[in-house]
Formats: sequence, C-alpha cells, structure tokens
Amino acid sequence: MLKSKICDLLGIKYPVFQGGMAWVSDADLAAAVSEGGGLGIIASGSAPASYVREQVEKLRTMTDRPFGVNVMLMSEHADEIAGLCAELKVPVVTTGAGNPSKYMSGWKQAGVKVIPVVASAALAKMMTRLGADAVIAEGGESGGHIGELNTMVLTPVICESTSLPVISAGGIADGRGLAAAFMLGACAVQVGTRFLSAEECNISDVYKQKILQAGDLATMVTGRRLGHPVRSLRTPFARNYLKAEYEGMPDDELEALGAGSLRRAVKDGDVERSSFLSGQSAALVTRIQPAAEIIKDIVEGGEKLLGGATQWVK
Amino acid sequence: MVFENIAQVISDRTDTPVEEITLESKIKDLGIDSLDSVELLLELEDRLGHEFDIDRKVETVSDLVALVEEQMKQ
Repeated sequence: MLKSKICDLLGIKYPVFQGGMAWVSDADLAAAVSEGGGLGIIASGSAPASYVREQVEKLRTMTDRPFGVNVMLMSEHADEIAGLCAELKVPVVTTGAGNPSKYMSGWKQAGVKVIPVVASAALAKMMTRLGADAVIAEGGESGGHIGELNTMVLTPVICESTSLPVISAGGIADGRGLAAAFMLGACAVQVGTRFLSAEECNISDVYKQKILQAGDLATMVTGRRLGHPVRSLRTPFARNYLKAEYEGMPDDELEALGAGSLRRAVKDGDVERSSFLSGQSAALVTRIQPAAEIIKDIVEGGEKLLGGATQWVK
Repeated sequence: MVFENIAQVISDRTDTPVEEITLESKIKDLGIDSLDSVELLLELEDRLGHEFDIDRKVETVSDLVALVEEQMKQ
C-alpha cells in the first residue's frame, strides 16, 4: 500500500491533495476528497471570509476527516481569512501567490499545519526557515497562475533545497504522474484539473465537458505581459485576451477584461466571456467519476508502477 | 556598505553594470521579479551573515537598503 510521511503528518490515508482552485474547490468537492482518503482543500480565491467560514462549516457536517483551506495571499481579504483559519482551527492551510510569513505564528499557535506553494528554491528555503510543515512544488503544467519552471525540474530542485516533505503538483492526473513525482523526490501529489471531472465538483456543465474533450494542445498561457501568467483552455475569450495583450491594450483595460472571467466559467460557462482555467493534464481526463474513485485510480496506478520499477534495473 | 553589497548582487544577477544601479533604481526595472527578490535576499544573507524578512513593500533599491539596515540593527 502506498503510504508516505505526509500521511502520518496530516492523518490522511493517501498522499493525494486536491488543489485549491478558486471558485471551484468548495465544501462539496473537498469533503468528497477527504472522505475518499485524500486531502480535500477549500479555495478562498478572492472570496470574502464569510464564504470561507460557510464552506468550512458545511464541510464539517459532511466529513470528520482532515481537510485544508487554500489562502490566496494576493486577495484583499487575505488578512481576515488567515485569522479565520486560526479561529476555526482548520487542520491544514496551503498558501499561494505570495509570502505567508506574517500569518505563520498565528497559524502555528492554533495548531494549523502550513503548506505553502513554492515556485522557486529560494522561496522553499525561506518557507522552511519560517516553520512551514511541508511545501508544494507546483510546476508550470498546472492550471491557473503558473511559475517559470515545470514539474520535472522544479520538484527535484525543491527537494534539494529543503528538508521538509515536498508535494509535487502540475501535470499530475493519474498513477503515472504520481509514480514520476515520487521518483523525483516528492512524497505526495496535488491534483487539480482531474478533480474538475469529479461528480462532486460543482462547475458548469460546459466547463466539465470542455475538460473531458480537451486534447494535448487545448491549453494556452495568457497574462505574461502583466507579470501574472495564467494557464487556461484555448477558448475565444483566451484567444482574444492574448490578442489584446500583444496589440498593446493598456494595462488597466487588460486587467478589467480578465476580472470575473473565472467565476463566469464556473457558474455560467459562457465561452465568449469566461476563463476556463485548466492544466495541461486535461488531456488525460476522459470521464466523470466520484472523487473517491479518482483518488483510488491515481493511487493504485502509482503503486503498480512504483512496484514494478525494478524491471528497469538488470 | 549595504548599498554596495546590494548593487553588486543585483549586478551579478542581471548583468546590469554596477555603476548604473542607484538608490532610486526600481527593482522591477532592473529585471528582478518577486521570485528573484527572495533569491536576492538569500544571497544578501550569505554576504552579510544576517537573516532578513521581506515584511514590507520593496520597490526601489533604497527600500531594500532601508530594510536591510533596519533589520541588521535588530
């Protein structure tokens, strides 16, 4: 059976995290993942603290297993949500888009395990020093905001830069990805895009179908000009955005064009006005399944491959 | 001394001639993004033998000098 130190650290059965996807990762999805033995994560995104409180309270009526909250540090509500996570004694906090140092002592005092997403070795070193419990190395294959490095390089680089457990993310959707991540030095994986196809994932049908239909060239990156590259499906909206970037639309107009576009994808599925965030691994997602089945498939596939790895050594 | 060290580290990282780096230079304009800035800070720690924390907005070289000097006194 696949088991690693992250399972003992967090009290979870399988070393599989569900990524905190803004507007997507709600109590329904996170509870289903935690019930399935992984770590379900509620995403705060840019939502207010009241939304996070409501989702955490709802999740706690659905499961008594460990779960996490992803705090998006660039959000205007980050201070309030950080405090709320300590108040609610959320078992795990993952952080993205910034440096969580100012919240660290409050979380540690409340017994919250802190697992920042890092996109460079320097950030991993800094987080180690600040007392993080583990780090997530998220490569550029992932959906949403991305860094410069891809998973194949980022994971071993981060593993070398810290003594903390490393969770690998970006491009991982099945047992092959999990096995590869473990070979790179990770002791768990974080999966986002595949969970968009979970039965318990409350995104619009259009969004879900687009993920199922996505091929290997279905995603693209926009937002490089503003310094915040984002990977999404290649929809009319994304193509128009890229065109506007290269045709020199002023920065403020470009920002306004992107505002609210993810929420529209999740809620309405309007392809002309929405940003359907997705990782490259959408190409590996082919059917709708319960979250627990997805976790089992990833773990069992990984176990088989890792168990057979000695075939290559004669 | 702090400014000279910072200018040297930035110059090494970005190939900007050290004499072109002034207190007024904006860090972003020198080609250093937010991820690079963490790395820059770790390099400064090695050089100056002190740990620093980016606890405020750092936009110019002068901001960084102030942060480093202040935290070295603590």
